[in-house]
Amino acid sequence: MDVLAPLLGFFDSLLMLLSEPETYLYLVASVFLGIVFGALPGLTATLAVTILTGFFGNKVPIEQSLIALLGAYVGAIYGGSFPSILLNIPGTAASAATAMDGHPLTKQGLGGRAIGITTTASFFGTLFGTLCLLSFSGLLLAIAQNIASPEKALLALFGILLSGALMSSDLVIKGWIAGMIGLGMAMVGLDPILSEARFTFDWAYLLSGFQVVPVLMGAFAVPQIIEGLVAGRMIAAAPKIGRITPSAGEVVARSGTVMRSSAIGVGVGALPGVGEDVAGWVSYGVGKSVSKDGARFGKGSLSGLLSAETANNAAIGGAMIPLLVLGIPGSPPAAALLGALKINNIVPGPTIDPSLIHHVVAILVLASAAMLLMGLALARLFIRILTLSPTLFLPVVMALTTIGSFSVGGGVNDLFLMIIVGLVAFVMGKMAYPIAPLVIGVILGGLFDETFRRTLLLSDGELSVFFSRPGALLLLVLNVGLVFSQIGPVKNSLKRLT
Amino acid sequence: MKLMKFAALAAALVFGASEASAQDYPFRDITTAVVWGAGGGTDTINRMIMAEMEKHLPVSVSVINQTGGVAGSNGMVYVFNQPDDGYTLVGLSESNVTAAVQGGWDQKFSVWYPFIVGGSPDLISVPADSPYNTLEELIEAAKAAPGTIPAGASGSGSIHHLNLLALENGSEVTFKFIPYKGSAPSQEAALTGEVQLVVTSLAEQQPLIAGGKLRPLAMLTPDDATLGDTTIPTAFTAYPDLANYLPLKQAIGFAVHASAPANAKAVLTEAFEKAMASPTVAEWAKTNFYDLSGASGDEASAIFATLESTFAWTLWDLETAKVDPAELSIAKP
Repeated sequence: MDVLAPLLGFFDSLLMLLSEPETYLYLVASVFLGIVFGALPGLTATLAVTILTGFFGNKVPIEQSLIALLGAYVGAIYGGSFPSILLNIPGTAASAATAMDGHPLTKQGLGGRAIGITTTASFFGTLFGTLCLLSFSGLLLAIAQNIASPEKALLALFGILLSGALMSSDLVIKGWIAGMIGLGMAMVGLDPILSEARFTFDWAYLLSGFQVVPVLMGAFAVPQIIEGLVAGRMIAAAPKIGRITPSAGEVVARSGTVMRSSAIGVGVGALPGVGEDVAGWVSYGVGKSVSKDGARFGKGSLSGLLSAETANNAAIGGAMIPLLVLGIPGSPPAAALLGALKINNIVPGPTIDPSLIHHVVAILVLASAAMLLMGLALARLFIRILTLSPTLFLPVVMALTTIGSFSVGGGVNDLFLMIIVGLVAFVMGKMAYPIAPLVIGVILGGLFDETFRRTLLLSDGELSVFFSRPGALLLLVLNVGLVFSQIGPVKNSLKRLT
Repeated sequence: MKLMKFAALAAALVFGASEASAQDYPFRDITTAVVWGAGGGTDTINRMIMAEMEKHLPVSVSVINQTGGVAGSNGMVYVFNQPDDGYTLVGLSESNVTAAVQGGWDQKFSVWYPFIVGGSPDLISVPADSPYNTLEELIEAAKAAPGTIPAGASGSGSIHHLNLLALENGSEVTFKFIPYKGSAPSQEAALTGEVQLVVTSLAEQQPLIAGGKLRPLAMLTPDDATLGDTTIPTAFTAYPDLANYLPLKQAIGFAVHASAPANAKAVLTEAFEKAMASPTVAEWAKTNFYDLSGASGDEASAIFATLESTFAWTLWDLETAKVDPAELSIAKP
């Protein structure tokens, strides 16, 4: 009975939603809005949810406004993959890993197929995450409660090292150098423990540190736009629109990847303070090391694309678990959702009404279905972008990117930051340094800094705490192993073994 | 002569226009920029009260978030730089009074004309599996091993940190203070066992207390509180010295430029008072464990001036303030 109760509650909510005509209107409008927000560079899922929260406030019943908020959340995490795949400019930080294999596919003229696979992957990822929210929230919470500061610090460091190792086209050390520059940039501003100003040179703007969105836009969009304008044509081969809906066989053949990536996405999403962006990278990294065609990752592998894109959407369900069960948001968009719930007098946490969880699950299932249908329909439209003249199109992208960077609220200085990071990224690209680890360094550096120093504060400076906790020890071994595997003699003996 | 005429015309236009706009306030939509992030107490309260005030105003109020800086200085600088015509409000809380001494900006809080919706009282809690069942047991343990029991609260200079400091002073113990970026992460740390006690507000803790994840030990206010069937005793009974330092209560609300036109202030005050009297707000406060205030204008300014002086000098004594409060002519408490 205990097993069936949530399932019955879910079907009850689902039928109730399907019987209301308003549901369809909210669903279609919000998923579309989400996709557009996700696809526009710099506009994030968090922003989409925040704007809708302001729009609905407590003016309509929460049962209805939740449809819009969750629809926009799902749509935005997915929508970011369009510019990632077609232009190599991630629409949101969550879809940065998607670009790694999505864009090479576009270059090979397979953009349509890539979008089709991504859409299906996002659909399965969202569904999987949602099912975990329904059935395993207790178990996942128990695991998440064992992840304290030491584990989070090592996880953040692993994310930076991993992206450095994965993204380098020639020497891994170049990826790590880029990652360390990003980590260094994350140190600017007020430190998270004592509120001391660091590297601010008495300039008030630097007190709040470097924001992720301008760095992301500068690092990915600016070099891409310069390259496009220099070349005078789109970097892609003439797009073959062809068949967009993937065949059942293509998906079934990769069901292992889908399941693994979904599980990683849910797990990472369930950790408070770590969101969809990290989920995409971790899953991509794991995929590269365990997948049969791992060597082809980064050159247009469908498995690579699936790894990133399934995980970032699965993280949505994961992020909802601590939000609904503990009242602690699992990702930045979930924090905006928390606000929406609170305005409507709903206090999420252990005392939450279970029917609300069933309602959220039902909405997420409907939103993922709406996303699948709209994604496949929109793909044909989006892919035509590649047939536009770049001299017309790229300036529009630049303008949108600028608006996106401005939207985070740091004023005109954020635009200068975007341009400087963009020029540095362009030069680094010319020298074959990967730029993604720099961005990951900025995203995860703050988390690493805060949790590492808090760990030492708690242990009075004793480093042994990283060995004595089982979770921390495992992550430490992974970190050290990753570094050692790149040292000449170790590398050679590893090669001989395989 | 021509010039004189022109000047007179221009003056008439300028003053006439400002007169008309002053009479018509509000003739266009109002924006409230909240200096803290979405989902937090200040954000939620502003969105809730603005939705109520809208019902008593002929225009809409849109709520945005302008976060970042030091103690919310980005949002305050943004609003301060907007025209002081009453069309841009700032959503803020007691923690913003430290922005000046922490170097975020160079204005005293008196540049604002505040409206206080309310706040939630602070309390001290321990994880559900903690060995400490009462505040006395915890204090005894801390006396036996000073500075070793990790205590979580949001970052240096927050209301919860100041409450923790007051508890230490009033009961003559020291904990090991571990700062977090907000109340939610500090409560999460208590659940993982990273810290052994946490100080946040009743509003923030109540779902975790009701769900049996946190065990409340004592209110840091003079009165007991009731949460469902449980009564949370006040810490003042066991430690009467606390009365010298406490209570330090949240003051969450919004503000308009102190230099805004008088009739704009009057219109806002009227809408605010009507909203505060509505059953929706009363019910919201009850469900979420907030005490409503309703203070505005001079009364609210006096409350914020006291908070500013307490916060600024406490931070100066802790050596975490960047700017001497005396330089900003903030009086000692």
